Amino acid sequence: MWDVMFWPIVACVLLPWLLVYLGLHVVRRGIIFIDIAMAQMASLGICVAVLIHLDLESTATFAIALGFTLLGAAIFSVTGKRTSQIPQEAVIGIAYVVAAAAAVLLLSRAAEGDSEIKNMLVGNILLVTPLEVWKCFGLFVAVGIVHFVLRKSFLLVSFDRDRAYQKGLRVRWWDFLFYALFGLVVTSFVRIAGVLLVFSYLIVPAVCGINLSGTIGKHLIIGWLIALIGGVAGLFFSFWWDLPSGAAIVCTFGALLILVAIGTLFRRTPDTLS
Amino acid sequence: MKHSKKFLVIVSLFALVTASMATAEGKLNVVATLPDFASIAQQIGGDKIDITALAKATEDPHFVDARPSFVVKLRQADVLIDGGAELEIGWLPPLLQNARNPKIEVGKPGRVQASEGIRLMNVPADVTRAAGDVHVLGNPHFTVDPIIAKAVAAHIARAFATVDASNTAFYQGNEKKFEDTINAKLQEWGAKMLPFKGQHAAAYHDSWVYFAHRFGLEIDVFLEPKPGIPPSPSHLTAVIEQMKAQKIKAIIVEPYHNRKIAEKVAASTGARVVDFAQYPGALPDTDTYVKLIDALVERLAGALKS
Repeated sequence: MWDVMFWPIVACVLLPWLLVYLGLHVVRRGIIFIDIAMAQMASLGICVAVLIHLDLESTATFAIALGFTLLGAAIFSVTGKRTSQIPQEAVIGIAYVVAAAAAVLLLSRAAEGDSEIKNMLVGNILLVTPLEVWKCFGLFVAVGIVHFVLRKSFLLVSFDRDRAYQKGLRVRWWDFLFYALFGLVVTSFVRIAGVLLVFSYLIVPAVCGINLSGTIGKHLIIGWLIALIGGVAGLFFSFWWDLPSGAAIVCTFGALLILVAIGTLFRRTPDTLS
Repeated sequence: MKHSKKFLVIVSLFALVTASMATAEGKLNVVATLPDFASIAQQIGGDKIDITALAKATEDPHFVDARPSFVVKLRQADVLIDGGAELEIGWLPPLLQNARNPKIEVGKPGRVQASEGIRLMNVPADVTRAAGDVHVLGNPHFTVDPIIAKAVAAHIARAFATVDASNTAFYQGNEKKFEDTINAKLQEWGAKMLPFKGQHAAAYHDSWVYFAHRFGLEIDVFLEPKPGIPPSPSHLTAVIEQMKAQKIKAIIVEPYHNRKIAEKVAASTGARVVDFAQYPGALPDTDTYVKLIDALVERLAGALKS
């Protein structure tokens, strides 16, 4: 099985750490569907490129997709007001459906079937190539460095927005930077692993970590462990029972989350008794 | 990098071991991308081959979900049969890239590209691909023409004979049998379709041009405005009008198409929805190629008669 599963396993070991970290931000900010909205903005950009007959693999196409991702980042950073009647999740949902519907409209005019675009946007973790893994890893390291260097501000803006405002941080600009980097990470991972996997890697490990412990550091370590176990175990199941790999990993994550939930239940009962 | 070298060594060792296992067992490992090629290959190879079809008969051949076993099978394959006309372009190339099996590379005796030497229909004059999700090489849904199926069978028999020379006579004999069956059947099918010569029929997707050509029909009205683009209201309105004007009696749909749309059009035109399939096994009682064409002829004739 190694010859078939080697690169998928490498991808599941090398790549999710950044997603787990960003997932902590996303869960904390309560913007669970931001990844899907961002990925959809990028694919809308690719549809525009198709409409004007650009080559799908060209730099111009990439630039347009990036432009749409930044546009999404701008929208979400402007709408994320300090106090608002409208939750940010509503704006994200609207952005998603409008971007998705606009893509359908564009494609019907673009006169080019959607098969190629679908294939380009949604990757399959089973079929990753070494080049894709290394490219994605390089991008993740770069984004990771930015996040590490600026961690104080990013964490403050995500985890304690009121303090961030009090300290005079330009929250909107930090939001924009966060969303822009996030968009880059999500769209590049979607291209090699698909939408389902991105969502699971962002949310499930973060939720498990938050469920099991108190500090951000511990959340991160538990999240990384869950991501590693879920990803690699999911790939094993996929091989043994010959299942589509992405879906197998996602269901493994679901099972892990249930285990963690049961675990916390049992752990808490003695506490409350004593 | 060091790691990947080690990995390559392991892979090649593994490949050697599996290859020697395969020859020890004595059967050819044959992989077909689609069930129609698999069905024909089974007729030619009989018990001398182990055949695997990657796509299911009810699966849209444009989109097939890869599973780990696909890579394993491709890695162990002695022969790979694909269409060679870009029908599988969305999913086969990454699988082959992962399988890295030199025996089934294009140009090797172990690779059968079924469309080779076949004149494809509807080759676009202009390759900018502005006319829809078109296939640059021409319409790739060619096996539903029984005469083309004979040519495909000949390709397959030749490849089997090259890769497994000791059984050449067996493969050639089976190919002859297949050809004779098709020739005899062509009379029967032709007779059944003769009363409808020149009649028009509608289809959801443009995958029946070869079938229509063979049996003298015109399947030239499509629910999809362009191949791969979902039907829009204005297009459907135009289709309904055209169908009424031409008194079209049948709308052909395949298992992975949206049957509801076809039913709606049928309801407003009085036409009948005819369930068709390109692949043996997708309709009841069609486990071989010949039975599939039997069923198609029967179903379409039934709808056109009413």
